[in-house]
Amino acid sequence: MTQPWNPAHAGMSRPPRRGEPASLADILERVLDKGIVVAGDIRVDLLDIELLTIRLRLIIASVDRAREMGIDWWEHDPALSSKARDLEQENRELRDRVGELEAEDQSAGSIPRQRVTSPSDTAR
Amino acid sequence: MTATWVYAVTRDLDPAVLDDLEGIGGARVREVHEGQLSVAASSVDAGAFNEESLQRRLADPGELEAMARTHHRVIGTAAAAGTVLPLRLGTVYREDDRVRTMLAEREPEFAATLGWLAGRAECGVKVWASPAALATGSTRGEAPGPGGGGAAYLSRRRDELAARDQASRRAAETAAGIHERLGGLAVAGRQHQPQDTRAAGERSTGAQEVMVLNGAYLVAVAGLAEFAAGARAAVADLAGFRLDVTGPWPPYSFADGPMEGET
Repeated sequence: MTQPWNPAHAGMSRPPRRGEPASLADILERVLDKGIVVAGDIRVDLLDIELLTIRLRLIIASVDRAREMGIDWWEHDPALSSKARDLEQENRELRDRVGELEAEDQSAGSIPRQRVTSPSDTAR
Repeated sequence: MTATWVYAVTRDLDPAVLDDLEGIGGARVREVHEGQLSVAASSVDAGAFNEESLQRRLADPGELEAMARTHHRVIGTAAAAGTVLPLRLGTVYREDDRVRTMLAEREPEFAATLGWLAGRAECGVKVWASPAALATGSTRGEAPGPGGGGAAYLSRRRDELAARDQASRRAAETAAGIHERLGGLAVAGRQHQPQDTRAAGERSTGAQEVMVLNGAYLVAVAGLAEFAAGARAAVADLAGFRLDVTGPWPPYSFADGPMEGET
């Protein structure tokens, strides 16, 4: 299966994306969010599916990319690991941003750079 | 004990296309008939697919991916050979008779939607914008140089934030314009939530590109190539915007039938 649907049967002379695999994000978006809802005897709670989808939006990239890199830790504890990954990412982004802002401050020059005082500093 | 996993409501489907097709859990896909309609279905182990275990499986990314791909493959195979109404992932009946009851109850509604979808397919269109494309009117050039002092720094920050606001507004306006234009080339259009750049993965080439439109369009199968060309033309004169066409997809985004004014 390399495409969403084999257009050979559909009489298409030039399919939009011949041979490109459907991305997991595109498939999940459709099978989880779209499609008719019927009252099955066993059906996953819609609310849960929505929550799941939100969580997936955060991890889909890691699923695809991590696998390419041979990393599969998320398979063992997805809930925990995806959170940990997001936090790590967020920390990194925040650190970078702080670094940028400090650099801007320094280049602005005339503001005396204030040191952030932590409790251990005051104690000294 | 087995239960019945359902994939899609179908009509006029040659049952041979489902031969040798493996469903969720490995069982063969088959049709459950009622009146003019059928459901593509397969048997699953009832113990392994009760509410609790199904929920648990779906929470596991590996299992979810496998189930989603299998569910999608069955629907896609059926869609290539007939008209289908995709069913939401994770719908399971205790037995085939329960599926027939459901089909009988909803036959008029399903038949009407199938009629609307016949000979049509879903095209996905994603539009990406480069930061530069959104940043025209940037205040960068007007900002005072370094050494401007605290007030200048704050004013620069304010300008940056205002520029960011303006960029998102511009993105939304451009997306709405493209969606409207593509809707004009299609039978119907729906907008999905734009995907996070990380979630979109390989589709985003520039690290800073932002998805501004994630649309689905219902198009006559005979006009798919023409639609794709029209879609590409819609961004051709927009510098910094890039467009991806995906599909054709089974009509997932149109399974609820036409909205007012759509025929």
